[in-house]
Amino acid sequence: MKFTPKLADGDVNISASHPLKELAWLVGGFVTFLVLFYVLLGFVSGVLAISLPLKAEAWMGSKITILYEGQTNTFLQQHLDGLVGVLPNDSVLHEYTFRIFLDDEEDQVNAFALPGGLIVVCGGLLEAVQSENELDMILAHELGHFAHRDHLQAMGRSLIVAFGSWLLSGDGSSDVVPWIASKLERKYSQKQEIAADAWGLDLLNRRYGHVGGATDFFKRLAEDKKDRLAYFLATHPYPGDRVQYLNALIGQNGYGVKDTIPLPKGIVAEMGE
Amino acid sequence: MTDFLINNSGLVTFGVLMILGYIAGSMAEKKHYASIKKRESEMVEMPVVNIKKACVDSDVQKSTLVTGSAVISIDYFKRFLAILRNLFGGRVRSYESLVDRARREAILRMKENALKKNADLVINFRLETSAIGKSANKKGQVGSIEALAYGTAVTLRKV
Repeated sequence: MKFTPKLADGDVNISASHPLKELAWLVGGFVTFLVLFYVLLGFVSGVLAISLPLKAEAWMGSKITILYEGQTNTFLQQHLDGLVGVLPNDSVLHEYTFRIFLDDEEDQVNAFALPGGLIVVCGGLLEAVQSENELDMILAHELGHFAHRDHLQAMGRSLIVAFGSWLLSGDGSSDVVPWIASKLERKYSQKQEIAADAWGLDLLNRRYGHVGGATDFFKRLAEDKKDRLAYFLATHPYPGDRVQYLNALIGQNGYGVKDTIPLPKGIVAEMGE
Repeated sequence: MTDFLINNSGLVTFGVLMILGYIAGSMAEKKHYASIKKRESEMVEMPVVNIKKACVDSDVQKSTLVTGSAVISIDYFKRFLAILRNLFGGRVRSYESLVDRARREAILRMKENALKKNADLVINFRLETSAIGKSANKKGQVGSIEALAYGTAVTLRKV
């Protein structure tokens, strides 16, 4: 038998297409799928949020309460009760039993609303607040989320984020899904935050008869974080914009602005115990 | 700008790893293919067949086992493409070149081995592939494939 040395023609075992082209197709497909699903779910959860009975919400709340048991705080609860006491008689919020918790271990300057009338205040926020009026503005803002049922809408969408991460799980790339989602969330949430601010401002006026201190907290935030770009993709609007918007509302509605009541000395240290 | 980077550190890390994986990975691949093609044409004269008996006219003077193996690792970019492929299905193009490189490199090393032993041909040639790090798609795991080429190097009695 005669042996004729010959090299194979071309690389038959590898595909010729460019890897970057493949990346573009795959990422494009995945993102499109995720965005469609997210928007659809956003819509569905919006409808659900409006029609979800309060009993069901209270049941969800009772499951979450367990996480924060023992973190109740008399000072914060008194402030919250003060605000609830001045709600208009026809307010839907009267159906809720509001409870507030202080998460000492969380340094974030943040507070959030959970189903069933639960509000969680992070320790970092309490340290950043300087007057009782500011604190009440933030609590009133959270109550605004309940009034608009924002907390339920966000919950539906965060489910899809968890699902998307799970699809890509086991890899560092799973960070990407929450990132994309948080950018989408921004579309919904910045609008919601502004609406909650407006609602909260009105309640603050009912509570004190004036809205002094409503913008102080955001003003300080804006000074701390001058970098606008950081807020470009954030879920909350740029604090400077919130101050502007609140000031415009104060002017429109003719709310009075008087002196604020400073937080009692040592209250932060005392609450840490 | 700094705040933006810090707030989105997860994405920044991911981007850096992807770019690094793509640039380093494709450079290594290009270089490797150039070397493979060069050596393949250099050693094209040595027959490698998978039949069990040497069908040659001359007597066999000596026969020994020759092996050659190569391990090729995936990079971050290729892995990301493969993960996305898992969702949609289809040919995992990003891994095709890895397997191809590992096989051809293993055959080349086996041939080099045979040449060192002054063999004239390799018979009963076999090729095996195995994965190293089966959980390569898990976080922090390195995945690579090994190709092992082996056969019987035969030296013929010169007349």
